[in-house]
Amino acid sequence: MLSMQNITKRFTSTLALDGVDFQLRQGEIHALLGENGAGKTTLMKILYGMIKPDTGQILLDGQPVNMRHSTDALSKGICMVHQHFMLIPAFTILENVITNDEPRKGIFTDVAAAREQVKALIARFDFALDPDARVEDLSVGEQQRVEILKALYRKAKILILDEPTAVLTPHEVNNLFSVLRLLKAQGTSIIIITHKLKETFAIADRITVLRDGRIIQQDLLPSDTDVSRLSCMMVGRQIQKQRPAKQKETGATCLEVKHVSVSEHSIAKLKDISFAVHKGEILGVAGIEGNGQSQLLEVLTGLRKPDIGEIFLNGSVVQGDAATFLKNRISHIPEDRLSMGLVKEMSVEDNLILGYHHEETVCKHGFMRKRSIAERAQESIKSFQIKTHDSHSLVRTLSGGNQQKIVIARSLNHDPEVMIAAHPTRGVDIGAMEYIHSKIIEMRDSGKAVLLVSADLDEVRTLSDRIIVLYEGRIVLSSLPGEHSEMQLGIMMTGGVLTDDTGACHETT
Amino acid sequence: MSDVLNMVSIILISSLRMSIPMALTTVGAVYSVRSGISELGCEGMMIAGAFFGMLGSYMTQNVWFGLAWGLAAGVAISMVHGVLHISYRVNQTISGMSVNLLGIAIPPIIMQFLWKTKTLSPSVPSFKKVNLPLFSDIPFFGRILGEMNVLFYLMLIIVLLSWLFFSKTVFGLRMRMVGENPTVASTLGIPVKAYKYLGTALCGALSGMGGAYLSLGQMDLFVQGMTAGRGYIAMVINAFGRYNPIGALGGSIFFGFFDSLQIIFQDSFIPSAVMMMTPYVFTLIVLVFGLKNLKIPAGVGKHVDEQ
Amino acid sequence: MIQEHAMKPRNLLKANSSLITIRTSLLSLLFAIVIGGAIIAAAGYSPLETYAAMFKGSLSSRKGIVLSLTQATPLIFTGLSFAIAYRVKLVNLGAEGQLYLGAMAAAVVGYYVQGLNQFSHVSITLLASATVGGLAGLFIGYLRIRFGAQEVITSIMLNEIIILFTSFLAAGPLKGQNSVTVQTERIASTAMLPVLAKQSQLTIAFILAIVIALLLAVLLNKTVVGYEMRVTGFSRRAAETGGIKVWKIYLLTIFISGAVAGLGGASQVMGVNRRFVEGFSASYGFSGISVAALAVYNPIAVVFSGIIFGILRAGAMTVSRTTSIPVEFVSVIQSLVVVFMAAPKLGLDVIALPKKLYGWIQQIRTRQTMRGGQAHE
Repeated sequence: MLSMQNITKRFTSTLALDGVDFQLRQGEIHALLGENGAGKTTLMKILYGMIKPDTGQILLDGQPVNMRHSTDALSKGICMVHQHFMLIPAFTILENVITNDEPRKGIFTDVAAAREQVKALIARFDFALDPDARVEDLSVGEQQRVEILKALYRKAKILILDEPTAVLTPHEVNNLFSVLRLLKAQGTSIIIITHKLKETFAIADRITVLRDGRIIQQDLLPSDTDVSRLSCMMVGRQIQKQRPAKQKETGATCLEVKHVSVSEHSIAKLKDISFAVHKGEILGVAGIEGNGQSQLLEVLTGLRKPDIGEIFLNGSVVQGDAATFLKNRISHIPEDRLSMGLVKEMSVEDNLILGYHHEETVCKHGFMRKRSIAERAQESIKSFQIKTHDSHSLVRTLSGGNQQKIVIARSLNHDPEVMIAAHPTRGVDIGAMEYIHSKIIEMRDSGKAVLLVSADLDEVRTLSDRIIVLYEGRIVLSSLPGEHSEMQLGIMMTGGVLTDDTGACHETT
Repeated sequence: MSDVLNMVSIILISSLRMSIPMALTTVGAVYSVRSGISELGCEGMMIAGAFFGMLGSYMTQNVWFGLAWGLAAGVAISMVHGVLHISYRVNQTISGMSVNLLGIAIPPIIMQFLWKTKTLSPSVPSFKKVNLPLFSDIPFFGRILGEMNVLFYLMLIIVLLSWLFFSKTVFGLRMRMVGENPTVASTLGIPVKAYKYLGTALCGALSGMGGAYLSLGQMDLFVQGMTAGRGYIAMVINAFGRYNPIGALGGSIFFGFFDSLQIIFQDSFIPSAVMMMTPYVFTLIVLVFGLKNLKIPAGVGKHVDEQ
Repeated sequence: MIQEHAMKPRNLLKANSSLITIRTSLLSLLFAIVIGGAIIAAAGYSPLETYAAMFKGSLSSRKGIVLSLTQATPLIFTGLSFAIAYRVKLVNLGAEGQLYLGAMAAAVVGYYVQGLNQFSHVSITLLASATVGGLAGLFIGYLRIRFGAQEVITSIMLNEIIILFTSFLAAGPLKGQNSVTVQTERIASTAMLPVLAKQSQLTIAFILAIVIALLLAVLLNKTVVGYEMRVTGFSRRAAETGGIKVWKIYLLTIFISGAVAGLGGASQVMGVNRRFVEGFSASYGFSGISVAALAVYNPIAVVFSGIIFGILRAGAMTVSRTTSIPVEFVSVIQSLVVVFMAAPKLGLDVIALPKKLYGWIQQIRTRQTMRGGQAHE
C-alpha cells in the first residue's frame, strides 16, 4: 500500500540516503533495520513529512503524495511514534491525546465525549491506562502506549515506531508486541525502526536492512535469515584494519572503577560497574548509545558524583569536580565537542588552554602569557596538523576533524596519565580520523591508560586491547582481542545471548 | 468593636483596590507565559496603558475611550516584544527589556510636547465609584463593594473568562500545549506562531488595562513612574499563582493586602519609606522562598525545532 | 549576544569581524536616529534642523563638548556595569540601585569623615562607594546561585528598595541642615573631585571611568580570571567541563558590576552635585543597557558608546531650551538602539518595507488587469 521510491537526502556534508526504495504491504509489520546513522530515522521522517527528500517520490495506495508537513502525514493516516516521545509530561493522557482534535461543543472542549472515546480505545486495545493520569507519572512503557493511543485516536492506518523497544524492559516489550499484533489484526500497517535483532524476529513479518544510507536487503522474510546474517548485513564486513602490534607489556592497574552506580530520575543508568584500565592499555567500551555511556563518562571526569562507588587512580581515591580530575592528569575528550569541549566563539589558542589555564605555561601571577600561549598554539597546530588560518581564528570556522584535533592536542599537550576519550572520531573526516587513532595508539605505547568509549564498533575493535560491552547500564561482556567476532559483539550490544555459532560473516547483496 | 470592623473594612477596601491593576496585569502575564513567552515586558505595557489611557480620556473627554486607548497601546507595545522574539528569535530577556525601556521613554516626550511638563499630566475624566443596587444591600461587604469602581467588576469578569478559556475551551488547551512544547504542538498541526502572538497581544491588552486602572481608576491623571515596578511584581505573582487566572487573582489580593499596609501604618512609628518598601521586599521573599516545586510551562522561550 | 552576522567568509580574521560589528552598531544607531527624526517631525519640527542644532550644541563649542563628556561620565559607568555582567550572561538590571547606594555612601563618607587630605579622602570615598555597590551586586548574585532567583527581577526589586531607602536617609536622619529639598549635607571639599575644565561639572570622574574601562578590558582579555569569565559567558557547559567553578565567576563578576555602578553614583555626588540629592539620576542605570548594547558589551567600546550618548544628551539639552522637545527624547533613541542591536535584520526589513508594499500593489494591479482582460473575452 505504501511505496517510497528512489529517495535521496543529503545533509550539508553527509549523504544520509542514497536512492532508497521501501515498500510496505497492507496489514503487515515491517522492520527497518540498521545501525546508528544508517538512515532509517531519516527515511521515516521523510515519510512523516518532517523532512523533504532531495529526490524520489512517495506513493500511497498508488497515488503520489506530497508531504510538506507532519500534518499532511497525519491527515493521510500516517502516524509516527518518536524515540523521544512527543508528549507533554505535565498534561494528562487525555489532554495529550486529543489536543487539536478535540470533540467540541462550540468553543468548549467536550471533555465527557473525549473521555468516552479515549476510554473506548483504551479498552479495545487493552492498554490499561487512566485517561486522567499525568503523563509524567507514567512508566516508559505506558507513555509509549499513550503515543500509540494518539495515533489510534487519529485513525492511523500506518503506524511508524522509532526504536520502540530501546527504552522498555523485556516485560514491557512483550506487552508492546501484543498490542502491535492486535493492531495488525485490526488492519493497521506498522513500520518498526530498530537495531535489535532478537525483537525483529519476534514480531516482524518482513525486514528491510539499511546501511550507510543504502538498501542492503529489501523485503526479507524472517524465515529466510538468521541473527548472524542480519547482524552481518547491518554492520557490514569491513576490511579488518591491521591492529598495530603492541610495543610493551600491559602495566599495572592505573584507573579503577569500583561498584559505581548512578540513577537519574529514579531510573538506574549504571548498575554496579566495576572495571580497571591498565597502564599501556586501551580499554574499549562498546555499546549502543544510551546504555549508560554518558553517565559513565561523567563519573570518570568529575562531572558527576556516583551515587554509589568510587574511582581510583593508582590506588588513591579521586573525588571532586572536573578541575580535580584534570589536575590528577585524567584528561577528557568529551563526547560532544561543541557544547562541552570547545568554545566555538573563541580562538584556537584560547581553546587549546581550556582546562589547563592555570598552568605555569599559560599564566603568571594571574596574567595570561599571550606570547607563550600563541607559541605553544603554533606548535600544536604544526605537530597536530590542524588546518586553520592561524591560531587566532575562531574555532567555529574549523572543520569537525580539525576541531577535534584541538581537543586531542590539548589533552596530549599536558602529558596525561589517563585519557578518557568519548566518540573521538564522531563527525570527523577519514584523514583526521586516522590521525586521531594514531595519536591514541601513541599514548598507549608510551605507557598511559586509555579508555575509549565509542558507538563505532569498528573503531573500538581496531584500537582496543580489551573490550567491555555496556548494555542497559551493565557490563555484559569482557573480551580480549580475537576472542569474539564482530557479530558476537553486535549481539551482546543489542541485548542478545551468545550461542556457539561463531561462523564467519558472509556479505549478502 | 466597630473600630475593629472599621479597620478591617478599610483594609479590605484597600487590598481589593490595590489588587485590581495587579490582577489584570498578572492575568495578562498568564496568557503570555502559557503561550511560551516570557512576561518581562509587562512593566512597559502597563506604563503604555496608564499613559495612553490618560491621553485617550483627555483627548476624547470620555473615560471609556481612554480605557480603549490604554488597551490598544498595551497591545501595540507588546508587539515589539512579540516581533523581536517570535519572528526574529531575539533572546526574550532583551526583547522584553526593550519594551520596558520604550515604555519609560515615551510618556515624558508626549507630555512635554502637549503640556510642557515631564512628570504630571492634567486631570482627566476617570472612573467613579459604582454602587450596584444588588450588592449594596449585602451587610458589611456591600459597603466595601460600594467603594469599587467598574473596573473591579470588569477585572473579575476577565479573571473568570480567562479561567474558562484555559480550562474549558479548545483554544486554551492548544495554547497551553504551545507553551509546554512548541515542537509537539507543531507536529499536531497547531499554528504555534499565531498562538504566541495571541498570548503576547493579550498580555499587552490586559497589562495595558491594568495600567489604565492606575491613571483612570485609582487616580485621575498620569504621573511618571506611577507603575513603580508593578509590572515586574506581576511576574512574580504569576509564578506564585502557578500561572493560572485564579491564582493570579489570589496572589494579587494577597499582594494588595501588603501594599495597603502602607496606608494602615501611615501615622505610626514606622517610617513611610519602610512601608513603601513592603511590596518589593514581599516580592523578593516570594521569589526566594515561595516558588518551590514550581513548574513553569516547559516551552517558555523555545521555538519550534527546525529540521 | 555577540551577533551572528549575515556574511561569514571562510577564514574570519579578527579585524574583519570587528568591522562588521562596528557596522552593525553604526547602522542600529542610524536607524534609531532616523526613527527619532520621525518623532521630531510628528512634533512639528524639522528633523534635519533639529539634529543639526543638537550636534552644533554638543560639539561645536567648548561648553558643548564639556557638557557632552559630563553627560557621558555616568553613562560609561553604568554601561560598563551592565556590559561586564552580560559577558558572563548575567542580566544585572540593578545598576540604578547600585548607583544610588554608591552615591549615598559617597555622601556619607564625604561628609562625616574628616581630617584627611584630598587624595586620601577621595580614595576612601570611592572605595566605600564601590564596595557598597559591589555588595548589592553580590546579594543579587547570591540569591541567584543559592535560590535560583532570577537576577532580572531581584535586581529591579532591589532598585526600588534602595532608592526608597536612600530617599528616607536623605529626608530624615541625613538630611542637610537648611535644606528644603531632600538632600544630604554638602560633602567636604576634600572629598570633591578635581574639575577638569574651569567652571564646569566635568571632573576626573571622566578619567576614572576610562581607567576602569581599561582595567576591565585588561581583566577580560589578559587575565586568567577574565578568560574564565569569557568562557563561562560563551558556554557554561564547556566552562564546567574545563574545570571552571562557574558560581565563583558569577559572584565575582556581579560584584564588579555593582561596584562599577556604585562608582558611577559616587562620581555624581563627588563631582556634580557635591551631595546626595533625591532623584539625581536621569535614569542613568537603565541607559547603561543601551550604552552596553551599542558597544556589544566590550569595555573599551563602552567608552565610545557612552560618549556618543553623552553627545546626544547634551545636544538634546541644548535643543530643549528653544523647542518643546524634551531631553527624554534621547531615551527613545536609546531604547530603539537596543531593539536594533538585538535584531539588525529588523532595521533592514523596515527599510525594505516600502519596496515590498510597492511590489504588492503592483501584483494586485496586474491581477486586476488580467481579470479585466478575461472578463472581456
